[in-house]
Amino acid sequence: MAWTWFHRLASPPHVYRVAGRLTPWLAWPAAALIVAGLIGGLVLAPPDYQQGDGYRIIYVHAPSAWMSLMVYTTMAVAAAIGLIWRMKVAHAVAASCAPIGASFTFAALVTGSLWGAPMWGTYWQWDPRLTSELILLFLYLGYMGLRSAFDDVQRADRVSAVLAIVGVVNVPIIHYSVIWWNSLHQAPSVMRLGGPTMPASMFVPLLMMLVGFTLFFGALLLVRVRGEVLSRERAATWIREALRT
Amino acid sequence: MSAFLDMGGYAAYVWPAYAVTLAVMVGNIIWARRALKRSRKEALHRLAVGGTEK
Repeated sequence: MAWTWFHRLASPPHVYRVAGRLTPWLAWPAAALIVAGLIGGLVLAPPDYQQGDGYRIIYVHAPSAWMSLMVYTTMAVAAAIGLIWRMKVAHAVAASCAPIGASFTFAALVTGSLWGAPMWGTYWQWDPRLTSELILLFLYLGYMGLRSAFDDVQRADRVSAVLAIVGVVNVPIIHYSVIWWNSLHQAPSVMRLGGPTMPASMFVPLLMMLVGFTLFFGALLLVRVRGEVLSRERAATWIREALRT
Repeated sequence: MSAFLDMGGYAAYVWPAYAVTLAVMVGNIIWARRALKRSRKEALHRLAVGGTEK
């Protein structure tokens, strides 16, 4: 009895239907939070005492970097579930994560570079944080490339899952790189023991952006999962029913 | 307004950072929708050419 929710979660027609219904409930709050966060971050928050208005890049850089790590972790967990329990829907989730994660890793690298230029005097440095984040981008791209090398979706799922799981060791390395090694990158100012190091006027818009981006990921994931689920299905009856509308 | 656009002299860094992020977000919406549409079309095609065949 307790397992029925798990079986329903694994049922492709159920996932296809529920994901479609749930998408706007994530997309609209995401849009509202991001717009509010932008106003708060660009207009209402005071300039930084050291970096002036340049620090405002944080409102797009930190959420993008957060996405890069959170999406990868989601992908690795989903891949592991798919591999262990042979759950097609979990593989569909993992496959859906990769392009989203890759694009936000790209955004994190570019915005970080644009922040580094005026503050550190360089767009790029082979520094532990920057290098490990670049490796994350290559992990995403490698995962996508590996998947596309197989015609058979099920084989692509299994092989790429191994890469996703192995690559997850890079996630704590990225997070702790600024603490373990002497990095150009500043230490965490939000996700740290003892709470954020910013005043509320700066921190609240950042929190809105972080939550907004996370919900945005949820909405994108739901749209992509529906497609991935469809592409794994050969059962004609439910597909015919689902696509008739 | 021009003070806002100037971003305290950091306009050349702040605005491109926001532009890139916005482009990634909009791109993701278009990309995800297109992927779903393609999967739908392929599923319909599979149905049309014969039921449970690959």
